[in-house]
Amino acid sequence: MKKFALTFAIAVELCAQGLDPAALLKSPTDTWPTYNGDYSGRRYSTLMQINKANVRTLTLAWAFQTRSSTLKTTPLEVNGVLYFTAPDRVWAIDARSGRAIWHYNRPSEGDHIGQRGVAMYKDRLYFGTPDAHLVCLGARDGKLIWDVVIADVKFGYYLSVAPLVVKDSVIVGTSGDQADIPHFLEAINPENGKVIWRWNSVPKPGEPGSETWPDAESMAHGGGPTWMTGTYDPSLNLIYWGTGNPHPVLAGIGRRGANLYTCSIAALNADTGKLVWYFQPSPHDTHDWDAVETPVLVDAEFHGKPRKLLAQASRNGYYFLLDRVTGENLLTVPFVATDWASGVDAKGQPIPDKKKEPQLDGSFVETDSGGATNWMSPSFDPQTKLFYVNAQRGFTLYYLDLNANQQVEGHQAAQPARFGRKVFWLLSTSRPEEFAGAGPKTRAGRILAF
Amino acid sequence: MAMPIRVVFPALLALLSCIRVVAQDATERGQAQFARTCGFCHGPDANGGAEGTNLMRSALVRHDENGDLIGAVIREGRPAKGMPAVPLNSSQIADVVAFLHKRLDESDRRSPRKPDYALKLLLTGDAAAGKASFFGPGGCSKCHSPTGDLARIVKKYAPPDLQARFRYPSGVAKTAIVTTSSGERFSGNLFYADSFRIAIKDAAGWYHSWPRSQVKAEVHDPLTAHRELLRKYTEAEMHNMFAYLETLK
Repeated sequence: MKKFALTFAIAVELCAQGLDPAALLKSPTDTWPTYNGDYSGRRYSTLMQINKANVRTLTLAWAFQTRSSTLKTTPLEVNGVLYFTAPDRVWAIDARSGRAIWHYNRPSEGDHIGQRGVAMYKDRLYFGTPDAHLVCLGARDGKLIWDVVIADVKFGYYLSVAPLVVKDSVIVGTSGDQADIPHFLEAINPENGKVIWRWNSVPKPGEPGSETWPDAESMAHGGGPTWMTGTYDPSLNLIYWGTGNPHPVLAGIGRRGANLYTCSIAALNADTGKLVWYFQPSPHDTHDWDAVETPVLVDAEFHGKPRKLLAQASRNGYYFLLDRVTGENLLTVPFVATDWASGVDAKGQPIPDKKKEPQLDGSFVETDSGGATNWMSPSFDPQTKLFYVNAQRGFTLYYLDLNANQQVEGHQAAQPARFGRKVFWLLSTSRPEEFAGAGPKTRAGRILAF
Repeated sequence: MAMPIRVVFPALLALLSCIRVVAQDATERGQAQFARTCGFCHGPDANGGAEGTNLMRSALVRHDENGDLIGAVIREGRPAKGMPAVPLNSSQIADVVAFLHKRLDESDRRSPRKPDYALKLLLTGDAAAGKASFFGPGGCSKCHSPTGDLARIVKKYAPPDLQARFRYPSGVAKTAIVTTSSGERFSGNLFYADSFRIAIKDAAGWYHSWPRSQVKAEVHDPLTAHRELLRKYTEAEMHNMFAYLETLK
């Protein structure tokens, strides 16, 4: 008993059961302290206890009933506690027993379509709400510490992203397609909720990228939501974050040009939020091809030369491999059949086919309107050197929606049809094989878990 | 003593429908009022005009509750921004406010298309060419007839639904014949299948399932021909076929 008390006292003194942000710099081995498990976004666990030999003996240990909407969250696991979310709600439960430790509920207005999870910094958790607030909770008891407004819910902004802790900041991105609005990424001070820096995913007039918009008005309402958690390379001090579709979503007639930096992968300086390079998977998007899918960081040889790589299987049906130091494109290959692009340009960016843009009488496009993939995270297994992605094929009718005054009326009009779901695996090349399932994680035990 | 539910419920329904009618009247009066006094600057739909801003993008309009913000702007104007005061009485202002809130709802909806809007825009194809394809290379007449299963098809589906449906029809189940290791055969509509399990519902409506590795299963998809057409159609051929189907009244 005495020994137990002593151990306990030491543990409290060391980290107060919290998470030292410096611990995130090493790939964790026995915790899952961020949305993607580590900064690389590869969602690979080094644990060996569950492996190819014993995976078929797994049985249910416990089940926890949330009595909530669909869970689209990845739990954090720190010191034996799971922290996970639904819109408005956070739970802390014992990972061994499934017993609830605390539950936080904050009913709000705004879009409740999804919530990906919390971020942890020391003994605090960070949680985005449907009314676009960032909330800071005590990890031990779920009690509110502060609550700040990130964006105006009346314009349809909401937060679904799991924030990312980088050094002494909490990176948070915005969601919302309901009205035509400009989106951004912010670094927030974890102590007091104050903004450290802000990167606008659509430029202001005169700034670099503004030449890809027709006018100030279209830029001021240009979209580019930042609704999925990015990745971070501490050695380069770069944050990699994907941006979503421009606004209006499907109607491109009022925003001629590439519409930077929507549907892009942006590399930002972690201390200043300044753009270092970008790559645009879908220039002038008119199909809702968010490029927010996890930019996975891999160190591997490419054509015999060791390189720092970034891989994204993008919603538009293409797999992109980039040099993450410079943004140079190394590979662009489709991972599902798709016909919205007429080819690939010199920079490795697909060229949108004008005929496949939404039309008044409907254009018929091969690709599911939900995308070839979406928010379900991919995984990279350093043992097999394979990139695993949940993918789907389909066809969609896209309509351009104008009102009687020839103005863009609805933000979206599409009739989707889905024909089956397949998972494809890729070895940084175009050699896909089919496999059934959804949302992979890889493990050192040589298994792929869904 | 609580009122019996059979009394309360119809009373409640009547009340709700009254409220709805009143609300509808207010938005309609508001639309007419807006067109007369505001539309020349802000556009008849409040989406912006030559002089005035798009009110769907106004923070003040979006934060308004029952006219608490919009009312003052109408009464007092915004002289610094060139907007004059508009002499409306309080019920006229309430109507304009109701109209603007309805417009916000419409504007924020993902797809406000109406079926009647669709048809005249969707009919860009050549019905005669569609008919030739139907009875010729399209292969449709092998399974379908304009006087049989497709007679009066336009009465059954709204134009955008018909346009989508002939490309990828739904609601036709796959069928399966499953042979067990002992040689017993089962057939019926496919209920579920993945790499590990297969399940059917037989003609009598009974459910059967097996581990996939222990049976032989032949799955038949009646819509295979439709799927194969998807990559063969050109945009023009699809619009022609739609124009022909729209003649089947």
